Amino acid sequence: MHTAESTVHSQVEETLYRQFGQQQFTVQATADSILTLWVPRSLLLDVLQFLKPQFSMLYDLFAIDERTRQYRSGQPDSDFTVVYQLLSMERNDDIRIKVALSEADLHLPTIIGIWPNANWYEREAWDMFGVIFDGHPTLYRILLPPTWEGHALRKDHPARATEMAPFEMGPERVAKEQEALRFRPEEWGMEKATEDSEYMFLNLGPNHPSVHGVFRVALQLDGEVIIDSVPDIGYHHRGAEKMAERQTWHTYIPYTDRIDYLGGVMNNLAYIQSVEMLGGIVVPERAKIIRIMLAELFRISSHLVFYGTFVQDVGQMSPVFYMFADRERLFGIIEAITGGRMHPAWFRIGGVAQDLPEGWDTLVRDFIDFLPARLDHYDKMAMQNKMLKDRTVGIGVYTQQEAIDWGITGPGLRATGCDWDVRKKRPYGGYDQFDFDVPVSHNGDCYDRAELRIEEMRQSLRIIRQCLDNMPGGPYKSDHRLTTPPPKERTMEDIETLIHHFLNVSWGPVVPAGEASVMIEATKGINSYHLISDGGTNSYRTRIRTPSFPHLQQIPLISNGLMIPDLIAIIASIDFVMADVDR
Amino acid sequence: MDWSLTRPEQGNVVGQSDDFIEEQVKRNVAFAKLEDLIAWGRAHSLWPFNFGLSCCYVEMATSFTSRHDIARFGSEVIRATPRQADLMVISGTCFLKMAPVIQRLYEQLLEPRWIISMGSCANSGGMYDIYSVVQGVDKFIPVDVYVPGCPPRPEALMQGLIMLQDSIGKERRPITWAAGDQTIVKPTKISKRDELTAQRIQATELREPKQT
Repeated sequence: MHTAESTVHSQVEETLYRQFGQQQFTVQATADSILTLWVPRSLLLDVLQFLKPQFSMLYDLFAIDERTRQYRSGQPDSDFTVVYQLLSMERNDDIRIKVALSEADLHLPTIIGIWPNANWYEREAWDMFGVIFDGHPTLYRILLPPTWEGHALRKDHPARATEMAPFEMGPERVAKEQEALRFRPEEWGMEKATEDSEYMFLNLGPNHPSVHGVFRVALQLDGEVIIDSVPDIGYHHRGAEKMAERQTWHTYIPYTDRIDYLGGVMNNLAYIQSVEMLGGIVVPERAKIIRIMLAELFRISSHLVFYGTFVQDVGQMSPVFYMFADRERLFGIIEAITGGRMHPAWFRIGGVAQDLPEGWDTLVRDFIDFLPARLDHYDKMAMQNKMLKDRTVGIGVYTQQEAIDWGITGPGLRATGCDWDVRKKRPYGGYDQFDFDVPVSHNGDCYDRAELRIEEMRQSLRIIRQCLDNMPGGPYKSDHRLTTPPPKERTMEDIETLIHHFLNVSWGPVVPAGEASVMIEATKGINSYHLISDGGTNSYRTRIRTPSFPHLQQIPLISNGLMIPDLIAIIASIDFVMADVDR
Repeated sequence: MDWSLTRPEQGNVVGQSDDFIEEQVKRNVAFAKLEDLIAWGRAHSLWPFNFGLSCCYVEMATSFTSRHDIARFGSEVIRATPRQADLMVISGTCFLKMAPVIQRLYEQLLEPRWIISMGSCANSGGMYDIYSVVQGVDKFIPVDVYVPGCPPRPEALMQGLIMLQDSIGKERRPITWAAGDQTIVKPTKISKRDELTAQRIQATELREPKQT
């Protein structure tokens, strides 16, 4: 990307070569310039262990089915590839480690001992691709039902429900599936009793008013004290990654809205920035600022929902009505600009769908003038409430080290005193032009996480005001051939234009082969789409790294030893939506 | 029944009529068939089950809050257990892993019970024709009203609710299990789209949004 970073890269590369010998590694060039190294399986653990002191966070772990991929020049032979993406917060750097596996021998050692959050990622890679992680204590399915056969993200697995056997849910099937969902403590290494007391096992979810969607957690209880807990996810798995393999680059945009369904166009941003990087598309200034304005409006909208439901979950019934009323006001602006409410799918590769409508500035100004006083009011009503404080201060505490070990990003990380915000550390899409602060707090408890999000809303208002005052003129979409078909009138004049117009409109653009992912600071943490193009009109593999997935994995760590009501406060303070977990 | 609203300062108008008793009876007594009365009561006191699957649930929750206020239609008593509810809004995608759970929750709902399928996913699978999604909740439980949209606006859900209330008002059920005819007669389902087509094709001019 820029020279400063490439020297850092070569430093890491150099130390690795010195330690293990250069012949062991194969470097892969990627469109996002993240150092990508292929490592032999035998060296994987040593290399990762060696990198751990420098790259403290396991950012993502996923697999790729390479069997039908065409453009792999320079990459070692592989049927299935497992990718480890590491993040260094101190050095603001990434590295990707890839391991090639043959179909006949899909074994890899588990890395739970190095990064505890590898646990769920490895289970997902097993569930979706059938990669076996030796030494993993609970290598069960995580997203699909335990009764599932096959591995859904393999290229030879059917994608559509309508290609598979007709659906049937008779009494026998219900009984079988319910039996499969039964929680068995022994599978998770739990004792059923101690010498003098028997534990109770409580099943919370997957439909419970305070678990925020279809999320289930099994609790091992001694009285009302949580001894241990096992979160169970996958009830919201919508196959978004598989869907990307059949939608065109453009027609996948609406699916991204539904990943973090409170974040609206924020999701579009993470996706299209990766596509733009693959295609080398430059976005005009006006489009950038419009995008930032819409994304920040959605950050406020998402945080308002968080705010209302958080205080409701700890017992205040009325604030949620105020927050939703404000959100409706905000949706008035979103509707005026995009025509949609929750899922506008309004960003486009290379720009946005339309220019801003007449009178948008008045709407936005009215809202940003109106909200601060409301936030002050809510502060008195909710955050200063003694009961709320009693329920949340000092509850669900984790340290900065724990946060990094478990892959926590976003407000959950910043509440532990770490100021890592992608908008500041790696300003993307024009954030470098804005003046705003990154709120940080230090206690790492439920109350701090909530307070921090409220301050983030005020900072978002600051950003929106700057957008409003300095909205640049010019085009709202790029003139790149991959994003905008040639003008229709000219298609009648020469055959070249006609062909390009026809292909772009009927098939969609062909994005050059390559790999890229761009991080964004989404509403709930760091979100990115790792896109692999095989030079086609759709993606070969789309990996969606969502912030909520690792956040849920950490629940046992912070809730064991507390009471059930504390768990409810913790769940509320994490601010997740299940679509962002299960995708 | 004849009735009118009067301003308080105008005083009590009751009793101005010559025949006080007749006036009182007219104002306070209604005659109806028992089954009509029960159907009317059922239609206007639907208790929804607090159940949500995905994005649509957020719009459903929005319809409970102040701007839309579903309480205006007598349907704000949200129950956390299916055993106390008679309306279940399938708000969101019907996931394969969730299907047996939905089935069980449906069975736990009290009779008589009604189902609103909210949003494209619950209606037909919508944009998710994918291995992990059931192509419409009506593949395994009966649906009374389908609300289109992805997600439907809160107004659309409320229109669906009103349609359901109309339908419940016309539904005929046995008054007791112990006597009489036990058949349940449901009114025929209507299609709002077909109903509105004639009106919609009247529109000849479509307006473009103004651009800066």
